[in-house]
Amino acid sequence: MKIKKLLILVGIPCMLLTMYFINHQQSVLAAGQTVSQVQAKKTLILGTSPDYAPYEFLVNKKGKNQVVGMDIQVAQKLAHDLGVKLVVKSMDFDALLVGLETGKVDMVISAMSPTDERRKSVDFSDVYYLGGQSILINQTDTRDYHSKNSFIGKKIGVQTGSLQQALTKKQIKGAQITGLAKVPDLVLALKSHKIDGIVAEEPVATAYASNDPELVQIDGKFDLGTDMQGSAIAFPKDSPTLVAAANKSIDQIKKQKLIPQYLKNAGQLMKINTHNTSMWHYWAYFAKGIGYTLFITIVSIAIGILIGGLLAFGRLAKNKVVRGLALVYIEFVRGTPLMIQIMFVYFGIGLWVNIPALVAGVIAVSLNSAAYVAEIIRSGLNAIDAGQTEASRSLGLSQRDTMRYIVLPQALKNIWPALGNEFISLIKESSIVSIIGVTDLIYQLKVVQSATYKGVAPIFVAMVIYFIMTFSLSKLLNYVERKMQHA
Amino acid sequence: MLKINQLVKKYGDNLVLNGVSGEVKDGQVIVVIGPSGGGKSTLLRCLNRLEDPTSGQILFEGTDLMTLSEKQLDQIRTKMGMVFQNFNLFPNLTVLENLTLAPQKVKKESLDQTIAKAKVLLARVGLANKADAYSEQLSGGQKQRIAIARALAMSPDVLLFDEPTSALDPEMVGEVLKVMQDLAQEGMTMVIVTHEMGFARKVADEVWFMADSQIVEKGTPEAIFDHPQEPRTKQFLAQVLAQ
Ligand SMILES: Nc1ncnc2c1ncn2[C@@H]1O[C@H](COP(=O)(O)OP(=O)(O)O)[C@@H](O)[C@H]1O
Ligand SMILES: [Mg+2]
Repeated sequence: MKIKKLLILVGIPCMLLTMYFINHQQSVLAAGQTVSQVQAKKTLILGTSPDYAPYEFLVNKKGKNQVVGMDIQVAQKLAHDLGVKLVVKSMDFDALLVGLETGKVDMVISAMSPTDERRKSVDFSDVYYLGGQSILINQTDTRDYHSKNSFIGKKIGVQTGSLQQALTKKQIKGAQITGLAKVPDLVLALKSHKIDGIVAEEPVATAYASNDPELVQIDGKFDLGTDMQGSAIAFPKDSPTLVAAANKSIDQIKKQKLIPQYLKNAGQLMKINTHNTSMWHYWAYFAKGIGYTLFITIVSIAIGILIGGLLAFGRLAKNKVVRGLALVYIEFVRGTPLMIQIMFVYFGIGLWVNIPALVAGVIAVSLNSAAYVAEIIRSGLNAIDAGQTEASRSLGLSQRDTMRYIVLPQALKNIWPALGNEFISLIKESSIVSIIGVTDLIYQLKVVQSATYKGVAPIFVAMVIYFIMTFSLSKLLNYVERKMQHA
Repeated sequence: MLKINQLVKKYGDNLVLNGVSGEVKDGQVIVVIGPSGGGKSTLLRCLNRLEDPTSGQILFEGTDLMTLSEKQLDQIRTKMGMVFQNFNLFPNLTVLENLTLAPQKVKKESLDQTIAKAKVLLARVGLANKADAYSEQLSGGQKQRIAIARALAMSPDVLLFDEPTSALDPEMVGEVLKVMQDLAQEGMTMVIVTHEMGFARKVADEVWFMADSQIVEKGTPEAIFDHPQEPRTKQFLAQVLAQ
């Protein structure tokens, strides 16, 4: 009976929300984007995944992270031709098209191939660069692998959702495919022999092979279909004027042979990064990551305690509706992954109001933490003997005063340590905000990985930093707790 | 002072009070005895509305408690002290603060006034030296004496005791009963649920025997203990005396 009610209570709003979203989504997709709209707002927002040198990658220029590479130069050319300012937004490759569909960015240039499947949801310009597909292997394996055909029955790595993934699936029969989000992660897998090769764009493979003596690049000798090669610019569906403008710029790029020059520029910028690959050199990256991680955690735990407190009292309220709503919220949030909640807030809520990734991350982590904090507070309050409340009420103290002077002070002794644990786990779990491009410690770790072509060292540094943060926090909390017990 | 009329309390289908009536007059000491599960605690907790009766009437100094709002009930409760089997001292407060919190917050008495009064009460229960202690530092008997002092700090018109000595080690029962006996002698109106038959005989003006959700028999201590009329009463007393 109760469960049925609960299902109705949760189910119906969820269904309505879903229906609304499906409808709304279509209307957004149908809108498209025009040149005049872009020119009116004077900016062109580029979405890209800067872990793919020399197409797009990060360099540290005067202490600031900057996205550079061949694709960025193409984007700059287009922005220049349109007479607007270019703004670059970083996201995971997987999230780029969602970002385009939900209006977070105006276009996507990220070494993206115009496949038929992608054409269903976005518009593409002409191809601006056509590179071959290479395979990266370990230097020690050069004798065993010569082309794609050497990989039958072997383990091969690709970027998730990439053209290379489709290509490998089709053309290397019987290969075991490992999909990872980022090239540096793939390189790590290769060097630790989790996989035998990586299929990547030729310039990317060249970049890694020339910066890492342990890696060798071979020609994949893939059979490249007409519609499955090269990179193009993606625009929202039904944006004919933007596509036309882009094609005009691309035409000039081809005629003036600008690509080789772009690649050369990119190669020089890559040398800035590989010039000094000691982790000390990148301390500013990690420091920035620590800053964001701590900021997100502290703000989120503060908001989480506020909302969590309200939810906890909601769970204990006399009013059935309030109790039900609090219960539904807590169970729903605890029953879904934080990662999905973050994407929902950023992309979903972003349909109505455009919120920056950092704000979206803080909102999602706060709302998530609120549910856990609510349960901590509720069980802390419940652990107090009912006799305490009875004694207090029998003296004439109101329900409020009983909570304030008797129950809460006693409950806090149990609540503090549990809240401390939540704080510590939030430091670790908030790392998931990196998927929407918030520059927390995990994100910065990936930046350093792709900048230095070193896989393990940045991971180790980040791991040690996380440990130092959580360990010193737990020592601090222990100290406060001991002080409180003696108070 | 306190009148109950046809009080009924159900927990779901479980009838715990089945039409209980009675009267407590000013200055009277009522002792409620009876087998465990008979409804004694429930009756006591209904009297100050810690428990909501299902039906019936409770008149306290002429006011019908069933018609009052939460706020008015808080005011009534200040006049009805309660002492529990498990003491229920507030462990987060010192002994003194246990005594001063409610007078300050509910009766809005000044801090100096409440502290002075608390010290008098602590001296009266023989624990003046424990004002700054916490409840974890006290023995059971000391805790219960503090709990009585805490109830007295509100200057109640009536005190309700629910088996105040049942959780105590035998050697501490006496000190608590002594305090209660003194109160009785001073003319405090009290309703006491207890298994201490000797004490009941000594202090009670009237004994109520409760069993099976009802008051089976009422009378003076002599009437109940020496000449019980109902078979259920005889059976219970025989059992208790056999122990
Ligand atoms: N909160 C409650 N919920 C359900 N049943 C209860 C509750 N409190 C008491 N009872 C039941 O009411 C009956 C009388 O209990 P109680 O008043 O504590 O008896 P006594 O104090 O005489 O031992 C018992 O059967 C007990 O199980
Ligand atoms: Mg009882």
